[in-house]
Amino acid sequence: MSTAIETRRPGARAWLTLIQCEAKMVARDTAGLIVPIGLPLLILVTSATAAGDQVVAGGRTALDLFVLPLVLTMVIATIGIINMPSFLAYYRRSGILRRLSVTPASPVMVLVAQVVVSVLQAALGIAAALAVAGLLFGANPPAALGRALGVFALAMAAMYALGMMVAAVAPTPNSAVAIGLVLFFALGAVGGMFGGRQALPEPVAEFGGWLPFGAAVDALSAAWAGAAVEPAQLLSLGATVVVGAAVAGLLFRWE
Amino acid sequence: MSGTTPAIIAENLHKRYGGTVAVDDVSLHVEAGAVLGVLGTNGAGKTTTVEMIAGLRRPDRGRVGVLGLDPRRDRAKVRQVLGVQLQQAYLHGALTVAELIGLYRSFYPAPRPAEELLELVGLGEQRAVRFEKLSGGQQQRLSIALALAGRPRVVILDELTTGLDPRARRQMWKTIERLRDEDVTIVLVSHAMEEVERLCDHVALLDAGRVVAFDTPAGLVSRAGAENLDEAFVALTGKELEEAQ
Repeated sequence: MSTAIETRRPGARAWLTLIQCEAKMVARDTAGLIVPIGLPLLILVTSATAAGDQVVAGGRTALDLFVLPLVLTMVIATIGIINMPSFLAYYRRSGILRRLSVTPASPVMVLVAQVVVSVLQAALGIAAALAVAGLLFGANPPAALGRALGVFALAMAAMYALGMMVAAVAPTPNSAVAIGLVLFFALGAVGGMFGGRQALPEPVAEFGGWLPFGAAVDALSAAWAGAAVEPAQLLSLGATVVVGAAVAGLLFRWE
Repeated sequence: MSGTTPAIIAENLHKRYGGTVAVDDVSLHVEAGAVLGVLGTNGAGKTTTVEMIAGLRRPDRGRVGVLGLDPRRDRAKVRQVLGVQLQQAYLHGALTVAELIGLYRSFYPAPRPAEELLELVGLGEQRAVRFEKLSGGQQQRLSIALALAGRPRVVILDELTTGLDPRARRQMWKTIERLRDEDVTIVLVSHAMEEVERLCDHVALLDAGRVVAFDTPAGLVSRAGAENLDEAFVALTGKELEEAQ
């Protein structure tokens, strides 16, 4: 009898429908939009006003080379590590995932739909923040635009991979936020979120530069200046994507 | 219907939560196209049993087969042919009835038309209402519609009509009869004797995690020397079957 049943996984239409549904869920929950869309602007405005407009290198100012890379990294780390997992944890707690688990929908579908919708929101927020940075604060585009975009995409993927790992291991929505916050501040602290890594003890600063947060800031900064990005930093981000996605996939629980 | 392959086989299922034994050596066979009612008081092990059959819970011991497949190992295949209505589940609250039906239909290769699903559970007028705005009974009916979205060959319904008003209850019964006519195999967890007598070919009576009787509804009544299924239940378990509303 079992031979009559072929494995037919949900196709492109199902993926698209799930992504649309997730987008509607987000659009109808106005409070949920504040973090991905409002936060980039807020962090930018509070950080950019302090940055001087003297040129540091390659026609780029301190705002371009130090503030913007840090702001962008903070934004994607907040959304990827704290914001996204809390949604997934809520889905698990409320039983939405449990109900999906008795359909042919796969964990990968659920995770990808969450990430896609989150990326769309984050992209909106970041675009708005960059527009403000350019128009109001006189920020310059990266000297190596393609390199910067590539590094940014990789850094974003790394942050979401960390977030999916948090979502996979956190038992409750509250613990997802707690684990996410701890991870965010730990990576941020050793990655230069509080006044630059040069203020940290040398081994800590070195170590922090290897972790995803510090690596993202440094790599973005290099791309903005038009300099070569250190392979070690790309390796760090790439490894985070692979490890995070693998752990999230292996530990995924529907309930 | 004897001689056909069972659509559902559960053999010697055991499940323990901490120190509590929830299911203690339960075996059930459901013939293809038959309707099995699972009756029992709260805590008898009904939900744990059907959730093990659905592949949601891993039995500590024992074996489950749905159309010859292991619901945990052959998850992708089983999910295409098995529809499940869960007692504890929630849907995307901000999505409407029509959107949720569209989403769940998209998971299956040849889904039942949306209009037919709405009609089966009587939610045509609520199609534009968000899930979170539906009454409890309407949410339950939507959950049943979603269990039927993929034209399943086997359906597990946990508490089909608990909490529904009499009209909705009769409508669900008609829906089950229609599925029975389509040769769908159905497992029905129920508190309602009338429902079981009307719809089920066989009844498994669960008490304290064990099957204390397995028979046709009429067989149970005569075996217990009772007048009706209510009395038979009391005679066979020594307990009153409370109707959880």
